Amino acid sequence: MRRRPGIGGLQTAAAARDQYRLLGENVAKLRTDLMKEQLSTFRSQLEDFARKHKNDIRKNPAFRSQFHEMCAKVGVDPLASNKGFWAELLGIGDFYYELGVQIVDICLATRPINGGLINLEELCKILSQRRKGAREAVSEDDCLRAISKLKVLGSGFEVITVGKRKLVRSVPTELKKDHNEILELSQAQGFVTVEEVERRLSWSTGRATDALETLLDEGLAMIDDGHRDGKRRYWFPCVSSVSSFVASETL
Amino acid sequence: MSRIPIKLGILIKLRSKTMQTLGEHKLPHFFHYPPYFTLQPVRETREKQIQLWKELILDYCRVQKIFVIGLEEDFPLFSNPAIERSLNHEAREAFLSAIVLDGRAEWMDKSHRQCLILWHRIKDWADIILHLVKENGLEDSVLTVEEIRTGVESRGTDIHGMDRGVLMRALKLLENKGKLAIFKGASTDDEGVKFSV
Repeated sequence: MRRRPGIGGLQTAAAARDQYRLLGENVAKLRTDLMKEQLSTFRSQLEDFARKHKNDIRKNPAFRSQFHEMCAKVGVDPLASNKGFWAELLGIGDFYYELGVQIVDICLATRPINGGLINLEELCKILSQRRKGAREAVSEDDCLRAISKLKVLGSGFEVITVGKRKLVRSVPTELKKDHNEILELSQAQGFVTVEEVERRLSWSTGRATDALETLLDEGLAMIDDGHRDGKRRYWFPCVSSVSSFVASETL
Repeated sequence: MSRIPIKLGILIKLRSKTMQTLGEHKLPHFFHYPPYFTLQPVRETREKQIQLWKELILDYCRVQKIFVIGLEEDFPLFSNPAIERSLNHEAREAFLSAIVLDGRAEWMDKSHRQCLILWHRIKDWADIILHLVKENGLEDSVLTVEEIRTGVESRGTDIHGMDRGVLMRALKLLENKGKLAIFKGASTDDEGVKFSV
């Protein structure tokens, strides 16, 4: 279209803009419609997939984990409610509910020993031992999902990372940064001494002692005065395998 | 000094390989975790610790048929050489006192040096004796105390080789209930028991 000067030119330009805008809107609408259709196709294919592979999803933790990832990508949460399509199809809501209850149980039972902090790996091990008879194997991923559901209930359950490990916290007291650093340090040998904390973290004696005593008071540490060098050691059950040892005898 | 990270799990496994059992007795895993040999200051932790030790001590005494623990003696459970730890006197006394409080043990002296372990309570021993009597048709018989303790009928039961003092107390309890009569034998060596169950 030729540009024309004057009022006529302006009106033509305005009309042109309007037409472009309409075209743009149509294109956008077309794209959205296309996307919606793709999404809906994807969702129904996902549902078909779930139906076909129901048993695999139930029995195989690795498969289950990938299924969850797929669902997440599409914005589907099979665990969102215990009623409804997914719950009925997979019966998976019950599985995680049951896991959640068992996890709470184990955390409560081991709390006198570890102060309410337990190694995720240990937790899963104890869980597997308890579920020996059950058809469905349990992975760390399953534990994490069950715990995230627990979190929604506001039960004070949380997974924290200390150094290389994931710990499950089942008490409301949060770990301060100082405590976190000590826990990380303790992962090497399962214990620390005041001297070691001072040296490795460059803290004053006061700061080290305060932090260790607090961890002791909260039941996260145990003292050991029996070494022949006479130095007090602070052991941390949550970074070693003790919880499972003791739990298997009391559960 | 460079620190060599040692996985604690492996450490515990290695050491427990050399001491998984004490004689024939299988040891629980807390026995291999050093802090359990130090009396814990924090109440909740200490309560759990005491509970674990109580159970272990009673269980061990029952299996090994141990009736008396001397606090200053080398009772095998008081130390674990594999992890180089021993219970100090305070800890030993704390654990045994807890068993006494449960009614499953008695101090034999005021200074708490010797502890009598009643892995069966006296009344339970009395029931076991009655059971032995009935099982063997001894309802109207006469036996010496030694015969009850080491005789043929006692073999395979907890009564065999049991502590004589505890046996006497159980018998006296039964005497009070009119189930038997204790009398001095013809020779002054041993006492006799006439059952009237």
